[in-house]
Amino acid sequence: MSAPAIEVSGLDKYFGQFKALDGLDLTVEPGQVAGFLGPNGSGKSTTIRVLLGLLRSDGGTARLLGGDPWKDAVTLHRRLAYVPGDVSLWPNLTGGQAVDLLGRLHGRADRTRRKALLERFELDPTKKARTYSKGNRQKVALVAALASDAELLILDEPTSGLDPLMESVFTDCVHEAKRQGRSVLLSSHILAEVEKLCDTVTIIRKGRTVESGTLNDLRHLTRSTVRATTEGDPSALAGLTGVHGLNVEGADVTFDVDNDHMDQAFRALADLGLRSLVSNPPSLEELFMRHYGDELAALNGEGAAK
Amino acid sequence: MSTFTGTGRLILFILLRDRIRMTVWTLSLVGSMFMVIPTLADMFATPEQRMARATIMETPTGIVFGGPGYGLEEYGLGAMVANEMTQSLLVALAVMGILHVVRHTRAEEESGRAELLRANVLGSSAQITAALVTNALVSGAIGALITVSMVVNGLPLADSAAYGAGLALAGVVFGAVAAVCAQVSGYARGASGLAFLVIGVLFMLRVVGDIAERGGSAPSWFSPFAWVQQTRAFDDLRWWPLALYVLVIAILFAVAYVLADRRDLGAGLVAARPGPAGAGPLLNGVLALHLRQQRASIIAWTVAVALFAFAFGTLVTEIDGMAEQNPEIMARMGLTGEGMIEAFLGVLTLYIVMPTAAFAVLSVLRARAEEDSGRAELVLSSAVGRLRWMGSTVLVSALSGMVMMFLGGLAMGVGAASATGDTAWIRVVAEAGAAQIPVVLMFAGLTTLFLGAAPRLVGLVWAWFAYGLFVTIFGLLMDLPDWMVHVGPFEIVALLPTEEFAPVPYLAVLAGAGAAAAVGLAGFRRRDLVTA
Repeated sequence: MSAPAIEVSGLDKYFGQFKALDGLDLTVEPGQVAGFLGPNGSGKSTTIRVLLGLLRSDGGTARLLGGDPWKDAVTLHRRLAYVPGDVSLWPNLTGGQAVDLLGRLHGRADRTRRKALLERFELDPTKKARTYSKGNRQKVALVAALASDAELLILDEPTSGLDPLMESVFTDCVHEAKRQGRSVLLSSHILAEVEKLCDTVTIIRKGRTVESGTLNDLRHLTRSTVRATTEGDPSALAGLTGVHGLNVEGADVTFDVDNDHMDQAFRALADLGLRSLVSNPPSLEELFMRHYGDELAALNGEGAAK
Repeated sequence: MSTFTGTGRLILFILLRDRIRMTVWTLSLVGSMFMVIPTLADMFATPEQRMARATIMETPTGIVFGGPGYGLEEYGLGAMVANEMTQSLLVALAVMGILHVVRHTRAEEESGRAELLRANVLGSSAQITAALVTNALVSGAIGALITVSMVVNGLPLADSAAYGAGLALAGVVFGAVAAVCAQVSGYARGASGLAFLVIGVLFMLRVVGDIAERGGSAPSWFSPFAWVQQTRAFDDLRWWPLALYVLVIAILFAVAYVLADRRDLGAGLVAARPGPAGAGPLLNGVLALHLRQQRASIIAWTVAVALFAFAFGTLVTEIDGMAEQNPEIMARMGLTGEGMIEAFLGVLTLYIVMPTAAFAVLSVLRARAEEDSGRAELVLSSAVGRLRWMGSTVLVSALSGMVMMFLGGLAMGVGAASATGDTAWIRVVAEAGAAQIPVVLMFAGLTTLFLGAAPRLVGLVWAWFAYGLFVTIFGLLMDLPDWMVHVGPFEIVALLPTEEFAPVPYLAVLAGAGAAAAVGLAGFRRRDLVTA
């Protein structure tokens, strides 16, 4: 078994008095697509910049492709490609020139792949970067990164400026990268994107990891929503352990159930004479809300107090 | 809604945003007048002393940095101030006006802030108007306070008022020049570069015209650098030359508004054309990237420096003629005609070093712009090390600075040779230029030092540069203590051809520049990258 592509534990980073990273943990196994979730300002980009050797950590350990991200920066960078969240380019270079330059600075770039990617992302390489929109600048960095033969892709909110069509092209490209055996770290706050693409998810908050594992692992920790129609009266379900928020309207019932008590709940439903059943696993959004719900409540409370 | 809606609000906003910047400009210009006037009165207390002083102002160097020479026959305090301070004040006002107007017009558009503002209830002419009005307000305040500084020092009110009004109007003209340039060029950097070039040409027109004839000749009258002194304030006051400022202001404003009206937000007058779909074989590394990013400004600065140097060089014949006409002046100054030319060229060499050193600083500071914009992040996350990235920036600055200094010296030598017909000058003056190369490299090295080790203190480089300008320009006039002059950056290495080439300071400054750059590079390897 090879070393993790990214292995971060207990990472600290201060900006003056402000503690941006507070014992953050993050692991990306080789060949996996890892989602890196957190609200704005939670430390995603800071973590990535430490991993790229642009910032120096103040504590904890960070390993990248088996090396030290600060000391071995240049050798490691040959093996990875990075797409920043807000791409700024040289205004007087065309998109095509920027793609080539980034490719050359990186080392190797595949001409055929470059051409194919430009077409797929519908990027006009003859336009000066100064005339590009945010999405087009992002495409330039994406094309350069994906055309490289990097074994690790670090993508910081790469789709924040892309339209839905381009987002789906991007999704395909990440799937391809995974098939080619590359590892991907995808930071995002678009939950659907992470749900669609990622094998594992790390959720951070205020510079600290609050949840990490595969989506399935995370789902086990929480509740599913069940909607059913039964022949008998479903009110009896209220007494079951692990069932919450029971709502009965005639023969229709909806409730949430802890995933480790699912078994009993479904048995009870079956005994009542089940006519229809829909069960939704918790969405990432619900997972996310569970960790940030109090912040939201505080915000709402504040709004109400005004 | 008119195109001017919101102008008033925007003016207040600019005044608030720039309150410190504007105060510093006003205080330093007005403050220097409050200091200089009594100093001049003390130093040149008797008519004899003042007449001796007047003979210096009649030399070509005196004319270049002084003016057309009104009032030299009876050199009183007022005439003295008008002859010795005007050009420096005008240059300062030009720099202030250009930076201010470009910052509040083109730079705002480039950054996208203009878009944010324009989407609000704001007329399309509000921004350019607010920039011009605020520039006029500061220029007006400076002019008025300078008038006050003169009156409280006992100078006649009418002459002082004309003088202050002239300075203020010139400030408005410079701002208007910048406003036109900001319409032409699509970038802030291009706009201010173009404006500085125009200002430089206007300055040279005044020099050429004034040198050709006492009191100025045709070329002088085309330059706003001339009209303040053409009022003959403190000699034989006439107000009408000030009308030329008003006329030019009206024309430039009209041109700026027409151009602004014809173009889209963010666009220059020249539409963006498609470029190559891929990078050529030359764009293959960071050095090539830095060179390419700076190509236009390296060429523009080099051409400008060489042209000015050539023009300065051709002035030597004037000094020859003057020595023939006024042998007694030369004798009083203890100089033979030959030595006079050399001293003149030596001093002029400093005026090649100054812009070249400024370029070297700006060139290294490009690294900071790359860092702030996030482009450095993109490059440094590829297989490019910190040392190579920063080192290439410094190398570009050092190489282009050396070439610029060398070509500047050569051009001045060629100018001197073409005017005198004596080709020996080419080599002499080119050597004098080359002897100043360490000063240019020192500025590049110091900027690297701060950028790498203490990026917040990088302003200190400019502070020392400004100090150097001050002691070098005023040191000659004001008899500053030696130590004050010697801690200036432009007084360390020997000034050829009058002074003997001294290898020790030459090598010491070179070594210092190298050491500063090395410390800066080491610091840059160790520190966090500045990130958004």
